[in-house]
Formats: sequence, structure tokens, C-alpha cells
Amino acid sequence: MTMDPTLASHLQELRRGTVVVASLTVLRTPGYGYSLLETLAAAGFEVEANTLYPLLRRLEAQGLLTSAWNTDEARPRKFYTTTPQGNAVAEALRTEWSRLDTAINDL
Amino acid sequence: MTTLIDRYVSTALRRIPEGQRADIDRELRASIEDAVEARVDAGQERDAATRGALIELGDPDRLADRYSGRRNYLIGPEIYPAWRRTMIALYTVVLPIVVAVTTVVQLIDDPAIGRVIGGLVTSVITVGAHLGFWATATFALLERLGLTDRVLRRPWTLDDLPEYESGRLAHTQLVPNVVWPVLLIAGLVLQQFTFTDVPVLNPANWSSWWPYLIVVLILEIAWAIQVFRAGAYTRAAAAANAVLALLTAVPVIWLAAQDRIFNPEFPGLAPGSDALYIATMVVIATFAIATVWDIVEITVRAERTRRGLTTQVPGTRGVL
Repeated sequence: MTMDPTLASHLQELRRGTVVVASLTVLRTPGYGYSLLETLAAAGFEVEANTLYPLLRRLEAQGLLTSAWNTDEARPRKFYTTTPQGNAVAEALRTEWSRLDTAINDL
Repeated sequence: MTTLIDRYVSTALRRIPEGQRADIDRELRASIEDAVEARVDAGQERDAATRGALIELGDPDRLADRYSGRRNYLIGPEIYPAWRRTMIALYTVVLPIVVAVTTVVQLIDDPAIGRVIGGLVTSVITVGAHLGFWATATFALLERLGLTDRVLRRPWTLDDLPEYESGRLAHTQLVPNVVWPVLLIAGLVLQQFTFTDVPVLNPANWSSWWPYLIVVLILEIAWAIQVFRAGAYTRAAAAANAVLALLTAVPVIWLAAQDRIFNPEFPGLAPGSDALYIATMVVIATFAIATVWDIVEITVRAERTRRGLTTQVPGTRGVL
């Protein structure tokens, strides 16, 4: 498959937003930036660190995540956790995702 | 000693609002060190791992923009159409009017041709730059302040669609094309015989130029009727229009330039007076602008008709 610029931009548009759903889902168990990055990469989500870290802070500002510094270990890390509101948003997004998937297959 | 990571983080933090710096500093360092650690665990040298991790994180300025949610554009797509419509209106309507007015003022003030041309060029450039800059700056400010929703998002309605006419002429086109020559002939004749005791226009021209102008104006009426009967502007019609327009404008401007257009006996228009000078300049500017406008407009219409295109009806929505 050739990755011409047109296809690349359409793919990017299609994938935008899936990272939000994935992050809110993964962070039901508290996690920090790099751990989330690795989890998402392993699961097959294409997201870069310089997009993900600012995104986490944005989701926190929107009240979908909370954060707390964990200083128990050698390196202090900021752990993010999905809030109930974040869970509800993730749920709504997943429902929409399924609906779109069905709709596409029915075309 | 500053490490590579220090330099990277400091560069990114420069562009982040003060209040968020401390927290982002800590978090960013932790994340970078996690990435470096992962690379070291995978067998890379620490130096190479640091470089690799930072390169992967990319341009620190872009990262900072993402943290700040800063917009990396001057005019966003939401208000771009409004900005574009404003620009078109400014440069096609406002700029020509401002330049025409300043040029006429300059002509009255000091008619040396070099100064007039210099002033024309200067005002096109400075007025054009100011219009573009301030309008764009205003739009950018609205975008930043988030006022676009309240200020500019007047809901689009069907009334905003401009009207178009096909190449076929509407009745409305006949009327101005006939009325203007009729008014000019009437004015020319009546000012001599009825309006005032002393005619405004030079009676000496009745043996030559005024009858000539009346003939040309009658030809323009004939042209308008002929075009209306043919039903469309053709190339021949546009050419005839251009010839007739020049046959009117050139003698008038030439007469004005020689101070032969106004009656020297008319009170207030004595030779050498300021009033005569201003009146002459107004006549020259009016005929020059109107003639160029007329020739261009009819030529464009004829060309659009030839290509089967429609023409927007002037005054209908779509400009602003």
C-alpha cells in the first residue's frame, strides 16, 4: 500500500479522536504519560508523545481525567485517572463508534 | 552544567504560560527520562538514547504550542470566509473610492502630472496596506478572543445568494443606457435656454462641439436600443460602446483641459478662479473614471456572454 500524502491526511483525520477514547479507557487504571504511550503503541494506536502529553493535560482541564503526583518511587511521576465524567464520555464515544461501524458495514 | 534535556525543557517552557511551567517541567522531565530509560534498557548508549528520545519528541516550540492549545494560524477556517469577503470588498470597493478621492484632491491641490501619479501610487500602496493590515488584525483578534461566535456568525440565509442574469439582457439594462444620454442632452440644451440667464457651459461651442456631443449621445441611445433588440452584449456591441464612450469623453476632457468647457461669463467661473479650476477637475475626473468603468464593464459582460457565463446582478448579496 502506498502512503501518498492524500491517504495519510485522511487516515490522520479518521484516527483523530480514537486516541481520546483509548486513553480514557486505559486510564480507568491510573497510569502516567510514558506508560500510557507504551500501552497504546502495543495496542496498535498510532500516537506520538508530543501529541499525547498535551492531550492528557487537556482532558484533565476538561474534567475527564484527574491527576496526582506519585513520589513513592525513585522518579516522581504524574498519574492520571479517568473521572466518572470521563468514563461517561468514553462510553458515549464508544457507542458512537459502534454505530458508525455498523452504519459503514451496512452501506 | 546544562544537559541536553535541560536545554530541551527550557526551550519548550519559554512558550508556556508561567502558571503551568513548574508542573509541565516536572512531568515533561519524567516522561523524557522514562523514554530514555526504555531505550537504555533496550541496549542503547545513554547519550544516544537521550538524543533519540528528544528527536522523537520533536520541535520543543511545537510541543509548547500543543501544551498551550495555542492556535498556529492567524485566521481560522471558521472566520476565513468572512475575512475573505471583507478583503474582496475592501480592495474592490473601498480602495478605488479612497484612491479616486485622494487623486481628485491632489489634482485640485497641485495638478503637476508627476505629483499626481506619485500621489496615486503612494495612496494605492499605503491605503492598501492599511486596509489589509487592520482588517486582518481585527479578524485575528476576534479569533483569539473567541468572539467570532457572537460577532460574526450571522446565520447564512438563502437571501445571501447573489442573483445572476444570463447573457440575455434584462429590461433593466435598457433603461440606464437610454436615460443617461437623454439626461445629458437635456442638460446641455436646457442650461443654454431655460435654467439661467447666463448659460453655465461655453456658448461658443454651439457652433461646433455641443452639436457634435448631441449627435454622439443620440448614437449612444441608438446603440442601447440596438443592443436591447439583439438581446445580448456581443463583441461588436462592446467595441461600438468603447468607440462611442471615447468619442464622448475625449473631446469633453480635451475641452476641459483647455478651459473651453465653461462659460467665462458665468458668475464665479471667471478664468483663473479656484472655482473654475475645481469644476474643471471634477469634470475631467468624472468623465475619465466613468468612461473607463463603462468600457471595462461592457467588455467583461460581452466576454462572459460569449463564454456562456452568467453575470452577477449588481447590488445583490454576495459581496459582503
